[in-house]
Amino acid sequence: MLQYLAKRFGRSIISLFIIISVVFILLRQMPIEGYFPNYEKMTDLQIQNGLEALGLNDPIPVQLGRFWVDLLHGDLGESITYRQKVPVTEIIAEKIPYSVKLGSMAIVVSLLAGIPMGAMMARYKGKWFDKFGTLFIVFIQAVPAAVYYLFIQLYGTIILDIPLMFDPSNPKSWILPVISMSLGNIAYYGMWLRRYMVDETNKDYVKLATAKGLSGNKVFFKHVFRNAFVPLIQYLPTSFLNTVIGSIYIESLYSVPGMGGLLVQVIKKSDNTMVQGIVLLYATVGVIGLLLGDILMTVIDPRISLSKKEEGR
Amino acid sequence: MKKKILAVLLSVAMVFGMAACGNNTAGNQNSGENVALEGEDAVYRVLYSSEIGTMNYLTSGTSADQAVAANTVDTLIDYDSNGTMVPGLAESWSYDEATMTWTFNLRADQKWLDHTGAVVADVTAQDFVDAMKYVLDPANASDTEWLLEGVILNATDYYASLSDDDASNDMAFEEVGVKAVDALTLQYTLEKEVPYFLSMLGYVCFMPAYGPLLEQTGSEFATSEDKMYYCGAYYMANWEPQVEHRYVKNPNNWDADKVYITEIVKTYNAEASTVGPEMAKRGEIDNTTLGADIVDSWMKDPSTSNMVSMEREDTSYSYFYCFNFNVYKLGDDWQRTGTGEYAIDEKYEPWNWEIAVNNENFRQSIMSAVNRVNTVYVNTGDYADPADIIMNTITPTNNIVRDGADAYTTLDAFKDIKAADFYNTDEAIAYRDKAIAELTKAGATFPIKMLVRYNPSTTNWEQECLVLEQQVESVLGTDYVDIIVEAGPSENFLSTVRRSSDYMFMKCNWAGDYADPETWVEPFYQRDNGDGTFHRGGRYAYLAYAIVDDTASADTVKEYFTLVEEAKAITGSDQEKERFEAFAKAESYLIDHALAIPYGVSTKAYIVNKLNVYESQYSPSGVANFRYKGMKLYSNFISMDEYNANKK
Amino acid sequence: MANSIKNHLAGKLEDALTEDLKKKASSNYEGLSDEELFTFAEYNSEEAERTGYSNYSYWKATLQVFLKNKVAVFLLIVMGAIVLFTFIQPYLPNQLDPNLINNNPMTFMQYRNVQPGELPQFILGTNSIGQDLWARIWAGTRTSLFIGLAVAIVEAVLGITMGVLWGYVRKLDFFFTEVYNILDNIPQTLVLILISYMVTPSIQSMIFAMCLTSWIQMARFIRNQIIIIRDRDYNLASRCLGTSTFKIIMKNLLPYLVSIIMLRMALSIPAAIGNEVFITYIGLGLPSDTVSLGRLINDGRELMMSPDLRYQLIFPTIVLSIVTISFYIIGNAFSDAADPKNHK
Repeated sequence: MLQYLAKRFGRSIISLFIIISVVFILLRQMPIEGYFPNYEKMTDLQIQNGLEALGLNDPIPVQLGRFWVDLLHGDLGESITYRQKVPVTEIIAEKIPYSVKLGSMAIVVSLLAGIPMGAMMARYKGKWFDKFGTLFIVFIQAVPAAVYYLFIQLYGTIILDIPLMFDPSNPKSWILPVISMSLGNIAYYGMWLRRYMVDETNKDYVKLATAKGLSGNKVFFKHVFRNAFVPLIQYLPTSFLNTVIGSIYIESLYSVPGMGGLLVQVIKKSDNTMVQGIVLLYATVGVIGLLLGDILMTVIDPRISLSKKEEGR
Repeated sequence: MKKKILAVLLSVAMVFGMAACGNNTAGNQNSGENVALEGEDAVYRVLYSSEIGTMNYLTSGTSADQAVAANTVDTLIDYDSNGTMVPGLAESWSYDEATMTWTFNLRADQKWLDHTGAVVADVTAQDFVDAMKYVLDPANASDTEWLLEGVILNATDYYASLSDDDASNDMAFEEVGVKAVDALTLQYTLEKEVPYFLSMLGYVCFMPAYGPLLEQTGSEFATSEDKMYYCGAYYMANWEPQVEHRYVKNPNNWDADKVYITEIVKTYNAEASTVGPEMAKRGEIDNTTLGADIVDSWMKDPSTSNMVSMEREDTSYSYFYCFNFNVYKLGDDWQRTGTGEYAIDEKYEPWNWEIAVNNENFRQSIMSAVNRVNTVYVNTGDYADPADIIMNTITPTNNIVRDGADAYTTLDAFKDIKAADFYNTDEAIAYRDKAIAELTKAGATFPIKMLVRYNPSTTNWEQECLVLEQQVESVLGTDYVDIIVEAGPSENFLSTVRRSSDYMFMKCNWAGDYADPETWVEPFYQRDNGDGTFHRGGRYAYLAYAIVDDTASADTVKEYFTLVEEAKAITGSDQEKERFEAFAKAESYLIDHALAIPYGVSTKAYIVNKLNVYESQYSPSGVANFRYKGMKLYSNFISMDEYNANKK
Repeated sequence: MANSIKNHLAGKLEDALTEDLKKKASSNYEGLSDEELFTFAEYNSEEAERTGYSNYSYWKATLQVFLKNKVAVFLLIVMGAIVLFTFIQPYLPNQLDPNLINNNPMTFMQYRNVQPGELPQFILGTNSIGQDLWARIWAGTRTSLFIGLAVAIVEAVLGITMGVLWGYVRKLDFFFTEVYNILDNIPQTLVLILISYMVTPSIQSMIFAMCLTSWIQMARFIRNQIIIIRDRDYNLASRCLGTSTFKIIMKNLLPYLVSIIMLRMALSIPAAIGNEVFITYIGLGLPSDTVSLGRLINDGRELMMSPDLRYQLIFPTIVLSIVTISFYIIGNAFSDAADPKNHK
């Protein structure tokens, strides 16, 4: 297992290298207009000087080499258009805490609500709780998120008597964004857990356990739940780590100065250094998430193995 | 089972339910008499939806960035609310024609403030010199440097000499035509006669900056509020990106008596257009823009109808339809690489378009068939008069103002054009019939495919194009012209579509840079390089290729270029009238021969606002329009009646 | 709740069957003489073999179970009707072209934002340039369902193939994990923007853009499921017996996953409709003469703050809701039906 992890870790580093290099090269294929808001009126010499100042006149391999050397020194460069001349790391470091705080709260809320919901729905399949849960899931699936987010904001702020805009110092103003962000995930966890648990209940070992005289609840929560939770656990680290990505719509509605939509924004502004920095961050997070997910899966279900040499096919 | 159907019905019902409620959230914010607020009450709160990239006014070419400097740094000249130029930081000025030198006498006792409002230093003539040196340093890669070229003596050469790697040929900055004679006397020496020089001084690249700070911060100048000094009506007390901009009144400013709003708080919200109206209703902000579709419901609701007014007319932009005269692929320098490859997809038969566009009757038939009222209606709806937007000239009305009145589009040369209604179906059909005969002879096939492009991220542009398509085709018939509406990429749209010649017919726009008609020929005029090629020009319609390819329109375009060159040559300081008349002749020729079709000015948006927009400074060029100086904050939202009264 | 109904029905059916069997049995020996009743039956080898044969067919049984879920069947019929209607609608009398801009014959201006029912020719009103919302909704539903289905199929085929290989063949695990890491982390926006410079908008470009990255998520999903079950005893047994990898995948693994694959596919259709909006915004989306539900909803979303105009959001949302709910319920019912344990 350790050997597997070491190997996989090594390869992940290579992947990161490839990802960021590919993104680096793709970014240099964008038209140069994007770097200059005033492109229309600038002279050729001005544009040349602008490109020179951005280091874009060198051949791409030279630029890439320079980027890697700087990166090894921990230097991701300065933002080009988003916040000119400000170090990328500084900008990102300012924004991450907001998104992570909001996102983690939302995930905790969704797990605390979604998992019991899914489990209860499966336990009382066909009863009123299941029906009520299905109604909720169907509703969340059917109504576009953008629509109910806005209504939560409009009416929630009236009920709580707070301004529409987010204010980090007011604990009340965290409530609505967290609720809005959780709803979709509650439905997601509930729906899939119910599905997996219903599938699991049909298995022979459950029948055996019941026949053996174990109480219904014990079988259900000790065996069925644990088995059914395995497929969900793989996504758990990713979901937590992904909170650094932020929620584009919620953050913009409430004016949360987080990471939400930042990547799309800087791509559109042709801010190469920002894009590179963010992609590196997200990719690292994604790679680690996948790895942690796999490890968690083997921990919770010992039958799963990632590295059985003799079984290799 | 029934429960599930119930579930479906319920969720649908909830959607309806949500729809039913909505306008119950806030009462009318307008109560009592509408009075101007003063002192601590005069805090203006507003949302902004796109963050500025920098406050560095010496390098940024983005108007949102420049708007910050407009309020925090003063310029030599200023404008009043009618658009008349008045003294700013310069108390008085004089011009010596023999040496082409302008001398400005600066106001005494003007101070630089830091972001806490503490006085740092005096504003002196040297600050203008240092700022220009910064702009002309290629290492700073200023976006607005081009404005100095060909205007300030040796600016072009100085910039070029520093641009190459060879340090030995670098010119000394002393040779550039800017000089601090003493602390309060500033001199600019020009390279040639520039009749519109004074109007350029309202632009960011002519603003002062405190030299020692520039030295100290270098490329990081004005990247945060503590890396910039302020001498304007306000100082930036707080710039927290994507959170807040807070401007505080500068009590030391020479014009502080006319600064009525004491504090401006701008709060970031990316969805400002969605939540803004609701926040205004609740009284949380003092200004928001209403989309044309929301206006209807605000106007119908008696509790909100008296809160709606409009923006002030914006005469800095002009919109016009361009016919693209070049169908062949262009290289990286926007010059044609040959005639082997088309810039436009071959399924749109660019060879056919090449014949058609060079036929004047074809262009005239399109011009007469376009009913601009229909496309304007897409943006304005019922609450605005299309006549306020549609315009028959390229240069907007009231753009070139002398003594408080329009001095250009009122000239005789425009008399017929301004009186005409381009839309005339009978004429369109007559032109069409002539065009069919001529084009058939020239080997074109019908229908002529006309590719119209739009940027999918621009609100309503697509809808406008669709209206245009159906409207023009219904006049001329689909067997004559087949309009194809196609989206371009939302990013770098102009580079991939207009400058690359990948369109046939498109609505384009241009904003003037100074108060002179010369700025308005830039989209069309291309200089002759003398070797059978032409300068790329504004990269709009590429008119010069009509001459290069010796097409049916070669003589028309040649004539237009000649008229422009004649007008440009008139530069004497007492010859302004002749100069304007010559430009008017060229512009009316352009329109008469349908080389381009004027469209209109920017659509005025509906706003909910506590400012009297007609108290603001007014200037068709430069950054004075962004200034809050002179505006009072009122206790109530301005109603349409008040707006109309203010207008007069 | 679907299951309870099913169990109830199954119970009923069982009762009916035993009843029937009893009747048949009694009718068989009625009216026979004692001799006939007590003679040995002749040995019939054909009959004997029949007992070792089951006419159980997986898909047939699945279908049978599915058909017992009446809500799902009803919604399937609704969906069928909707699909059918989107094709019939243009040929009905008095239908307007979804792209036609209707002008007021009096003013020659567009019928702007006509409320539903305000004018008899516009059942659901018009949009801001006078296009008929009724016609646009049906045209949009047609396009969106087509796109959603195409994307779901591509996603399923590519995602399942790759996911199974990734999960089952250990040697490929590293390779696919890294491919996933790379593809998943190159920003979609960047790739879409670059493609938008090369491709002009069309339905194909839209489907292409959507499939570009979505299959990799499906692959990860399948891979996780496969990893969980690949070393279960019955698979080990099959491997020990020398069953080919292909056969194990087809016979052991996939049937086990059919239920969750079905549910996921069902959900990917509404997801694709939601995705449209972003891609259209980049400039890679649908050409302007092609209406879609995603576009209608996005246009409508901008009008949400204006109560008078919310009808432009509500009608397309209702259609989208019906489609989503139907797919969710049909998908869930099909998942239940696909589980052999539920085949009785």
